[in-house]
Amino acid sequence: MQKDSEVRRGEWEARLADIKYMIHLFRKNPLVMTGTIISLFFIIVALLANFIVDPRLATTEGYTGGSYPFERKYMWSANHPIVWGPDIALHDGPEFFYLGTDGWGRDLLSMIILALPVDLYNAFIIVVVAALLGTTLGALAGYAGGIFDEAVLRITDVFFAFPGLVLALVFASMFGRSIETLQFAIILVWWPPYVRLMRGQVLSEKEKPYVEALKALGAGHLRVLFRHVMLNAIYPILVQATMDLGGVILTFSALMFLGFSPSKSLPELGNLAADGYNAIFSAPWVILFSGLTMLIISLAFNLVGDGLRDVLDPRLRR
Amino acid sequence: MKLYEYIIRRLILLVFVLLAVSVLIFYLTRGFERGFAPWAPYINEKMTAEQIEEVIKAHGFDRPLHEQYFYWFRDVFNGEWGLTGTWGLGLPANRVFFNRFPRTVELAVFATILTISIGIPLGIISAVKNNKLPDHISRIIALAGYSTPSYWFGFLLQLVFFYYFSLWGLPNLPSSGAPSIATRITGLPILDGLLTGNLGFVWNEFVHLILPSISLSFISLGFLARIVRASMLEVLRQDYITMARSKGLRERVVIYRHALKNALIPAVTLTGIFFASLLGGAMITEYVFSWPGVGQAALLAVGQGDSNFILLYSLVFATIIVLANLAVDVAYAFLDPRIKY
Amino acid sequence: MSDKRNAKDTVLEIKNLKVNFHTYRGEVKALNGVDLKLCCKEVLALVGESGCGKSVTVQTLIGLLPENASVLEGEIILDGDNLINKTKEEMRILRTHDLAIVFQDPMTFLNPVLTIGTQLEEVVTMDKDLLVEAIAIEKPKQKLDFTDLIKMDDSATEPKNLKISRRETKRIAKRLCAAILSLVKLPDQERILKQYPFELSGGMRQRAMIAMALARRPSIFIADEITTALDVTIQAQILHLLKELRDKIDASTLMITHDLSVAAETADRIAVMYGGNVVEVASSVVLFRRPFHPYAQMLLKAIPNIENPTSRLEAIPGTVPEMIDPPPGCRFHPRCKYAMDACTKKRPRLKEVEKGHEVACYLY
Repeated sequence: MQKDSEVRRGEWEARLADIKYMIHLFRKNPLVMTGTIISLFFIIVALLANFIVDPRLATTEGYTGGSYPFERKYMWSANHPIVWGPDIALHDGPEFFYLGTDGWGRDLLSMIILALPVDLYNAFIIVVVAALLGTTLGALAGYAGGIFDEAVLRITDVFFAFPGLVLALVFASMFGRSIETLQFAIILVWWPPYVRLMRGQVLSEKEKPYVEALKALGAGHLRVLFRHVMLNAIYPILVQATMDLGGVILTFSALMFLGFSPSKSLPELGNLAADGYNAIFSAPWVILFSGLTMLIISLAFNLVGDGLRDVLDPRLRR
Repeated sequence: MKLYEYIIRRLILLVFVLLAVSVLIFYLTRGFERGFAPWAPYINEKMTAEQIEEVIKAHGFDRPLHEQYFYWFRDVFNGEWGLTGTWGLGLPANRVFFNRFPRTVELAVFATILTISIGIPLGIISAVKNNKLPDHISRIIALAGYSTPSYWFGFLLQLVFFYYFSLWGLPNLPSSGAPSIATRITGLPILDGLLTGNLGFVWNEFVHLILPSISLSFISLGFLARIVRASMLEVLRQDYITMARSKGLRERVVIYRHALKNALIPAVTLTGIFFASLLGGAMITEYVFSWPGVGQAALLAVGQGDSNFILLYSLVFATIIVLANLAVDVAYAFLDPRIKY
Repeated sequence: MSDKRNAKDTVLEIKNLKVNFHTYRGEVKALNGVDLKLCCKEVLALVGESGCGKSVTVQTLIGLLPENASVLEGEIILDGDNLINKTKEEMRILRTHDLAIVFQDPMTFLNPVLTIGTQLEEVVTMDKDLLVEAIAIEKPKQKLDFTDLIKMDDSATEPKNLKISRRETKRIAKRLCAAILSLVKLPDQERILKQYPFELSGGMRQRAMIAMALARRPSIFIADEITTALDVTIQAQILHLLKELRDKIDASTLMITHDLSVAAETADRIAVMYGGNVVEVASSVVLFRRPFHPYAQMLLKAIPNIENPTSRLEAIPGTVPEMIDPPPGCRFHPRCKYAMDACTKKRPRLKEVEKGHEVACYLY
């Protein structure tokens, strides 16, 4: 019994040293550090968004208090003057619109801040669900083999042969415009790569001597699979998931942009970009800044993921 | 496994994939009320109620969903893919598709050429100067490529090269659309223009292709550059690279003769798959640039819930993807003398 | 390398070479002042267990240290020049001609997607002198003899007309490649030149690699564990080939091996390395008969003796030293039964105890 705990402690020490080394490698790369800092910054802003900006600013009717003492009309169609910078004609106070206003005359910076939690939350949910679904199926398929493996593989084949965006679009257009439909539609497209990734990992781990040793010691299948094999195969999944966060934000907002948004006035980056598209030549800043925000968030996650891949790749060690 | 056995296995898989895709899309597009009535393109105002009834009966639209599938299947087997909705002027889906397909092919070819000619050098620089400034710059370009919302980048290009350039009186690029086709021989507009000697048309078409191609390739060259970098780094660690250096070969020779051929093998896969997915139409880019290809059509069809066109589109796309995967695997065998199927 | 030398002249001298590797866990002090002399036309074997610095010595010598390594001090004198001070480009040019190396594993060190012909030709075509000389001596309908060309390399000094057309280069390169392959006793050269490495057997691949080294007509031929990855029977063939080539190739050979029997069979002199130092150098006969350094003595006791099969093999107590934080003074002292105070303080340097027998130990 004592032996066992000692072995486990040794295992943990080795793992801890490994993690320390990874952190060292991670910190050595300036780009990866930049990516990490930017992602953390956006996550913190998203968490605090409702404290930084009054969420009622996003409403397009009814709310007239605070800094916007006027009734909102859709400016691009109502031929209102378009504002970027200080504006006195439209507003009472010395309001300064750092990034200009959007089609409803709302401060674009505030709208982008309010959009962050929407985009990040959805991206996170979608990636986590898709990754969990995909890795579990992939791990079971790889470990079990046989007919189950074959069936799972053929199903992913079908999904790989699909035009991904079309599937999501068809799905979203058939089930109506809601955030939940979009989440479901994107998850539907996003889980198969995780199956392939995890299955490949499990197949290569399964052949390693330690699995045989564990089985010889009488460890149960599920225990071997989940406690040992998956733990060792998890790194590439982490990398993939981090990079997918960026990709999912882009896809989610693209669907919103293409008109699957539940409400045109919802502060969401793709929605804001769609709004800016309506006045692309007269008010280019709306689409410019909303798209730029997407680019920066996605780039930050991709930098982290890319750096993680370098760090976690054992062949790049030493 | 023999090469032909392998090919046969993949072709059987293709049949399975096509069946599954058609069933899934069929149920998604016909199983809900949201699409337009599938018989709408077949009728007109002059028809009496009985005539409409007859049309509906003839195509099996009054049957339960699973029976409708077999009606659809029967029609497809006879080469009838059904009619499109109002977006396609009620023309047969296959005619709309194959009228538009050459334009998509053109765009795919141009974008792929651009991607390869920028992505591969970027990846090589990144690997050779690993963790130095050129690597960081190339890494940022590559990652920015696939972190960019495609429609957004398209708009920026339009804004700068069309709107601001014309505002400043500079020679500007057209922002959207494509010139109408003069003559049809092979179907590919540029090729036809060259064959008929209509150079004005060729130039016009080419100019219209520039912005969409840049927009498309910017997004994908990042993937390619990263793959090339990763496999190049892997190859540069190999013993035979040490051997090549120990021979006193110039670094250029070491990289281009000894490393590149090995490193490009995975890049070939990616380029093949990328090209195939572009053949399926880069929907958003075609939409943004109003490029009259199949991707734009698919987006329009989805907007109207036009099941006939979506089915045709998905099936062609799935076929292309499966065949491209097969082609890539076969190409492996030629590129790497060690691989034998 | 045009001047004639005496057999006892030193061709290559390594003096007090210190090399460190920077790693996450700290500085790995891989070479701790290596001293080594390679005499003209001799075969010197560098022996030691893995991790003792044999390979690092060779990497430094050919100028291909990994990026995280740096030379702290020391000199490598070849032809009166210090190689440490040379630029990368100068080292590259040196590798095209003077320093040729053959590596351990012919499978991984040959490029899998290029034919043997391509990999050999690129060596041959780099040496314009070789091409010109080959054209000068070639006779139609008769095979080229590469040994003639090796001899010419030493004598020819007159300036040559270096303009050869591309077609001519290709043609003569083909003939040269065949000639070199026949020098390393590979049959059916035309076919082999068209084959990929994976189509050849291990022994043939190693011969092809040796051919690539000899094609440069090197003055120093380095064999880095060339028999380690091979079957025993193939090992014997390769060693036999090396012995045959000895007189033909006109080069001084530095042979790296961890196998004492290989060293005994092929080398004139043996240098024993331990923990980043050369601890003993002697002619192979002397070293096997009367080793001085305690490590060398124990190493020899660890070889099974055919004449006395009942004698017990002795293992060396302790483990290979940690190179990040090596023991001070003589790196062998924690495992040495004769260790004294002085051993823990200052590293003993090589000194000549008998004629031609140097040892780095305070016992002598």
